[in-house]
Parts: sequence; structure tokens; C-alpha cells
Amino acid sequence: MSGLTRRELLAGATVYGGAALLALHWPRAAAAAKESATPLVLSAHEWRTLDAVAARIVPSDDGSPGGREAGCVNFIDKALAHEDAATRPSYTTGLRGLDVVAKRRHDRTFVELDEEKQDAILAALQDGQADGWPGDAGPSPDFFETLRSHTLIGFLADPKYGGNRDFVGWKHVGYPGPSHARGGYTADQMLGKAPIRAVWDEEI
Amino acid sequence: MAVRETFDVCVIGTGAGGGVMLQELTRAGFSVVALERGPQLEASQFMSDDELAFVIRDQVFSPDQIETWRPDEATPAVRGHYNMIAHCVGGSITHWAAWSWRFRPDEFKVLSSDGPLAGASLADWPVDYAELEPWYQRAEWELGVSGSAGANPFEGPRKKGYPNPAHPPRATTSHVRRIAGKLGYTAFPVPMAINSRPYEGRPRCMYGGACQQYGCPIHAKATTFSIHVPRALATGRLDLRPNARATEIRLGEDGRARSVRYLDGDGKEHEVRARRIVVSAGTLGTPHLLLMSKSGAFPQGLANSSGQVGRHLTFHHFAAVHFTVEGETRAFTGLEAQAAIDDLHPSDPKRGFIRGGVVADANALMKQPLAWALQGLGGQGRGWGADFKRRLRDFPRTVPLAAILEDLPMESNRVDLDPDVVDDQGLPAPRITHRQHRNDVAMNRWFTARMLEMADAAGAREKWESISPLTVAEEGAAMPGSVHLHGTSRMGDDPTTSVVDRWCRSHDVPNLWIVDCGVFPTSGGYNPTLTLLAMAYRAADRMIGEAKRQNA
Ligand SMILES: Cc1cc2nc3c(=O)[nH]c(=O)nc-3n(C[C@H](O)[C@H](O)[C@H](O)COP(=O)(O)OP(=O)(O)OC[C@H]3O[C@@H](n4cnc5c(N)ncnc54)[C@H](O)[C@@H]3O)c2cc1C
Ligand code: SF4
Repeated sequence: MSGLTRRELLAGATVYGGAALLALHWPRAAAAAKESATPLVLSAHEWRTLDAVAARIVPSDDGSPGGREAGCVNFIDKALAHEDAATRPSYTTGLRGLDVVAKRRHDRTFVELDEEKQDAILAALQDGQADGWPGDAGPSPDFFETLRSHTLIGFLADPKYGGNRDFVGWKHVGYPGPSHARGGYTADQMLGKAPIRAVWDEEI
Repeated sequence: MAVRETFDVCVIGTGAGGGVMLQELTRAGFSVVALERGPQLEASQFMSDDELAFVIRDQVFSPDQIETWRPDEATPAVRGHYNMIAHCVGGSITHWAAWSWRFRPDEFKVLSSDGPLAGASLADWPVDYAELEPWYQRAEWELGVSGSAGANPFEGPRKKGYPNPAHPPRATTSHVRRIAGKLGYTAFPVPMAINSRPYEGRPRCMYGGACQQYGCPIHAKATTFSIHVPRALATGRLDLRPNARATEIRLGEDGRARSVRYLDGDGKEHEVRARRIVVSAGTLGTPHLLLMSKSGAFPQGLANSSGQVGRHLTFHHFAAVHFTVEGETRAFTGLEAQAAIDDLHPSDPKRGFIRGGVVADANALMKQPLAWALQGLGGQGRGWGADFKRRLRDFPRTVPLAAILEDLPMESNRVDLDPDVVDDQGLPAPRITHRQHRNDVAMNRWFTARMLEMADAAGAREKWESISPLTVAEEGAAMPGSVHLHGTSRMGDDPTTSVVDRWCRSHDVPNLWIVDCGVFPTSGGYNPTLTLLAMAYRAADRMIGEAKRQNA
């Protein structure tokens, strides 16, 4: 497998930088996430497509919850409605591009494909090797990086933003959640000698 | 515009440098007005540990920041948000990690100890370690630095120990100790300006982990926000104006700075007059303001007869290696860094580069899960899929190592005003022209290789080099920004090659001082701020002494 190139990583960094620039007042997306778990800006088809993408970026084949179970698509929808609104147009063109590539390869939309085929298409996007990728959608590795980073953020950001449902992301990585509001850590906890009670009320 | 008020001093910017000036000058009896671009935040806002808001989106500390960057003059500048700077009362030290070093004696004398070197504008500082020693001591005791005096064999001589004992270790510390034991290095606690016990009315740290890039919710972390600004306000002589962005320093007919124009939060213009003006707007903000302050006497910007304002911009670069071990490391707890190794710091041209830096278990890229997934683990495989998901689980079993590395100054690395891009207040964006000297790349590669060896010495199961915008391990790498910014208002004895004198006073304008990291002629291989604070206490002392003599 190829490693991410530096250019891709930096492109990722710019995604966050751009988001920061256009930041509205936080946590609007959080408020929006509370109101609804149904699409605010994504069409039903876009929602299903993104949900399928999230399920490949963080799969659940290993039996533990992944991007789909975490509700990453809900996170992205709320982010696109608010803080990351500037990224919305690139989702419109990029998700359309994903289907163009899927149809050219298999005569089906992305969601209709099996996981192996979906993985192959995502890898082709990441490598800039996706035949048929439309010119108006920008470089495919940039769009892939947006998908990848948004999904990971949806998996691992505070659940109040609409993803990381039931703390599945934090449980997966072994992060007990914000600590200051709960009094921080003791010397024994820092040393790994005492367990830490996580925000979901389990010891890790 | 009617200008009715006149103050003894106007301080522009309330960060690390400006904060000390506010405290010292108000305590000495001066009336001071402070103009701060950002808002007044409350400690309670820092209780959430909300990584998305604070770290990934940077929505709290500088949502309004716009810069442009190009690697050289021939390339068009690209708009972005590259540097980590806090625009708020207290400035960037509000969200610092609080590593608090004294520079080593040779770090003030890079030109004479290692130079000259082609392509680099190396320089000696006009001050030396011995002269700064008492001021370092003052800064350490004001901030309540916790550390273990004498534990770092590479530190300059000190006359007094630390005011507070070193912090308790976290699990990563034992790995750093193991590395040091195996490779013949010395491991020691990073000196941190964070309370290891209650100190001067501020409580002991609660080791919450989300520390760097966050403010401290309980004031255990020593900051301008928690110490200097409140003390200055307590004198009753500080007129603190948040959301006040200085746009021009105006010159009187006598060649002295006379007043400062600023925009308030509603975009309304005001002007304040002061007998002395201290510019502490930071390494980007100060040249930006000086270059906007053009006049008949200074057509290329205030205090810029030398043409040096904005030049010699230095950005620390970082090398980062992560490795996994058996058992828990809990790098998400505690302070940003707990244990350091400084054996690789002393300059040795035989390594293929000059200068160096310090290595520690810095958790910046893995203190919380988003940093971990996006950067700490960044560059691993494809960064998605089943394998990446499995790797995500290494979060509690990973040891982070990072080296903070001295970059070399270059005259062509600079900040000026972008002719094309304006920000939302209609001011030109600061334009950064910056690329790496080849010494930086060689150093970064070498330190990365040493840290990979350290990982082996610790018995790493897996180890990898982490890539972030702050690493420059590739030939031709260029950094648009950093967390540690210096240069741009160089300090020196010669008015034709520097902007301020040894007391941080402008060579050109007698009642203008610059007190921020911009005055650093070279960047050092340690985090910079204790050195700035020491310089600020010293500059304030000089200014107060002079004023008293004039009045006597
Ligand atoms: C995440 C992070 C971690 C860090 N950790 C460490 C550490 O562990 N140890 C260490 O030594 N250093 C650390 N640093 C670096 C440290 O924060 C800086 O070196 C220090 O704050 C620089 O002080 P300064 O006075 O030069 O500028 P700043 O502290 O940046 O202050 C400049 C101030 O001027 C204001 N300003 C700018 N323009 C204007 C204007 N036109 N009008 C009015 N106000 C203006 C800004 O809003 C700001 O408040 C860290 C930095 C970051 C970003
Ligand atoms: S770790 Fe300590 S100093 Fe840092 S924010 Fe928490 S309480 Fe404050």
C-alpha cells in the first residue's frame, strides 16, 4: 500500500485551515446536531453515498463499530450546514464524481457496489487514478482527503457534533473523554497504575 | 478625530512580551493604555477540552487570522491560516504548553560560535547569558516554573533553583529514562511554567492532558492572562482595551512616536496619544503594524531606516517520531511534555549541519484522538480502512517523541504587506515569504534518525516518523508557519543592520520599544518564551530607571 504523500497531508492541513477561516460561531453545528439526525443539507442520495464512504474509511468488518455506526454522515451534514459550509460545493461535485467513476467502471452508483469495489474506487481517488473523474471536481486526491479527514473527525470528535455516537470512536481508540471538567488525572492514573473512569461511565 | 487622552505609555498587544511591560510599568506608576486586537476570554471557556473547536478549527484563539505565504518572491502567495497565534487578552502564551527554558550561552552567539554560513544571516545577540541570568531568575520566580535545577547538564550556570519542584512523571517518562539509560544520555524533567503545587494564589495543576492549544481553566498554567494582566489591572493604572486593533503609529514633528490609531470591534477608528509606545504585537503583528505606519520620515515603514523590519523571520521546525510499546503510555494525560533529553543539542558541524535542539515526549500530535488520527498516526499506510482502524487503537500505547529545532535566519525570509489580499477589517494581510535553509533539512533528518534509534532503544514494537506542517524532513521543504515565530525586528548594536538596540528600543524612534519574539536575532534550540520574558523584564527595568532619572 502506498503511504500518503506529503502533498496530500498538507492538502489535509489546508482543509482544516480553510475551515477555521470560515468558522461561524461555534458550536452551531453542535446545536444543529441536537435538533436533528436527518439531513440538513445533503440530499437523500448524497447522505447514503457518504454513509457508504464512511463505512469504508472506518469499516466495521472487524465486528466493532465504524464510521457508519458512529454517524459520521450526520456529523458531516451538520458541519456542511454550518462551520464547513464553504466545503459544501466540493461535496456536490465530488460525490457526483464518485458516481461517475462508479458508473464508468461498473455501470452502477457507488452505494450499489460491494465493499471491495467501493474500496478500489476510493483508493483510485486517493491515488489520482480514477478514470472518468470530472474536471470540475478538482483533483480527486484533494476530495478524497476531505472525505477521509471529515470522516475521521466525525468518528472521533465530541458526540455533541453529531458523530461518535455512543462514544464508539473514543471507545475504539481508548480515549476516556474530556478530563478537566471531571477533575483531571492523578499521579497513579498518569503512570497507568490506576484505572480511569471514562465519560461513558466505564473504567479503562 | 479628537484625541483627548494622553497616557504615559501605550502598549500594543498583550501577549508574553506586552504583558510583562503592562505589569512592570503600571506598578512603577505609569498610566498605561493597552490595545489588544482580540477579546477578553474567561478561564471557564477552557473547561470543555473541545478538540474540534480549539485545535482543529482554531475557533477560539484566532478565527479572524488571514495570512498569505509564498516560498520565494517568484511564486504567487497563497491565502491561508498558517501560524498558531492567539488573538486575545494574554496573547499566544494563553494556549502555550509552558516549556520554560533558559537559552544556553552559545545560543546568544551563533555567528561567533558557528558562523558564518552561506545563505544564512547568522548574528550574535547584543546581550549574553550572563547579562540575562538575573532576568531569567526573575521570570522563573514570577511564573512559578517547576523543574529540577542542575538536572540538565547542558544548561548555563544558574544562581538559584526553580521555585517549584518538578512534576510527577507519567508513563511515557519511564520510556524516555530507558532510552537515556541505554544510549548514555541524561533524561530530566522538562521545566514547565505550570504549578506543581499551589503558588502565589494559583492552584496546582490537575494534569488534564488537553493543555497545549488550550487555555488553563484553573490558572495553574502561568500565563500573561492569569498573572500579568490581572496584576496590572489591580494597580488601577491600566486602561485595557480588548478588540482594539492598532492600524498606525503616528509620528510627531519632533521625530517621536506620538499616537496610535486603532479600530474597535465595530470597525470605528480611534486614536490615543502616549509619551512612550511599546509594540508587542508579536513576530507577525509588529512588522505588519510598522510597515503600515508609513510617513514622510519613514517611507518604508516606521522604525525601518535599516530596511530590516520584517526580515530574518525564523520558524522553529520539529521532527516527530512515535512508537508503540507493551503496556499503557497514557500520553493523553499530564502536561504536553514531561521528560527531555538534551544531549543532541550542542552544535557539532561534523554531523553535517550546525546547531541543534531538544528532544522530549511531547504529546502535541496525540494528546487527543483527532490530533492522533490526523497527524500523530498521519502518513501511516493509506490512512483509512481496516488496517488504519486497527492502528488507531495504539493511542494509549504510543510514546511520542519530538525535537524542537533551531532554524537558521535568512534575510529573504520575511513578513511584509500583501498587495492583493485584505482581511475582513480591510487591512492588507501579512505576507510571509519563507523557505528552509538546507541546514534545517539536514538537521531535521538527522534528529528524525536519532529518534528512530531511540525508539529501538526503548524496545519499540512499531515506530514511525510523523509528518506535520511543522516538519521539514524533505529536500526543498518549506514551512508557511509555525508555533514559534521569531526575527522580524532584529535586535543589534548596529542601526544599519538591526531594528532595536540591546534594550529593545528602536534605533530610529527614541520613544518606541519593541518587546516580543520578533527581536530574537536567532531562534535557539528551545522553546523561546522564557527568554522573551527575561528580556521584557530587563527592558522594563531600563525604561523605568531612565524615566525616573529624567524626572529627578
Ligand atoms: C500552541 C502553542 C504552544 C506554545 N508553547 C510554548 C511553550 O511551551 N514554550 C514556549 O516557550 N513557547 C511556546 N509557544 C510560543 C509562545 O506562545 C510565543 O513565543 C509567545 O507567546 C510570543 O510572545 P509575543 O509577545 O511575541 O507574541 P504573542 O504572545 O503572540 O502576543 C501578541 C499579541 O499582540 C496582539 N496583536 C497583534 N497585532 C495587533 C494589533 N495590530 N493591535 C493590537 N494587538 C495586536 C495579538 O492579538 C496578541 O495578543 C507556544 C505557541 C503556541 C502557538
Ligand atoms: S494540564 Fe494543568 S496547566 Fe494544563 S490546562 Fe490542565 S490544569 Fe491547566
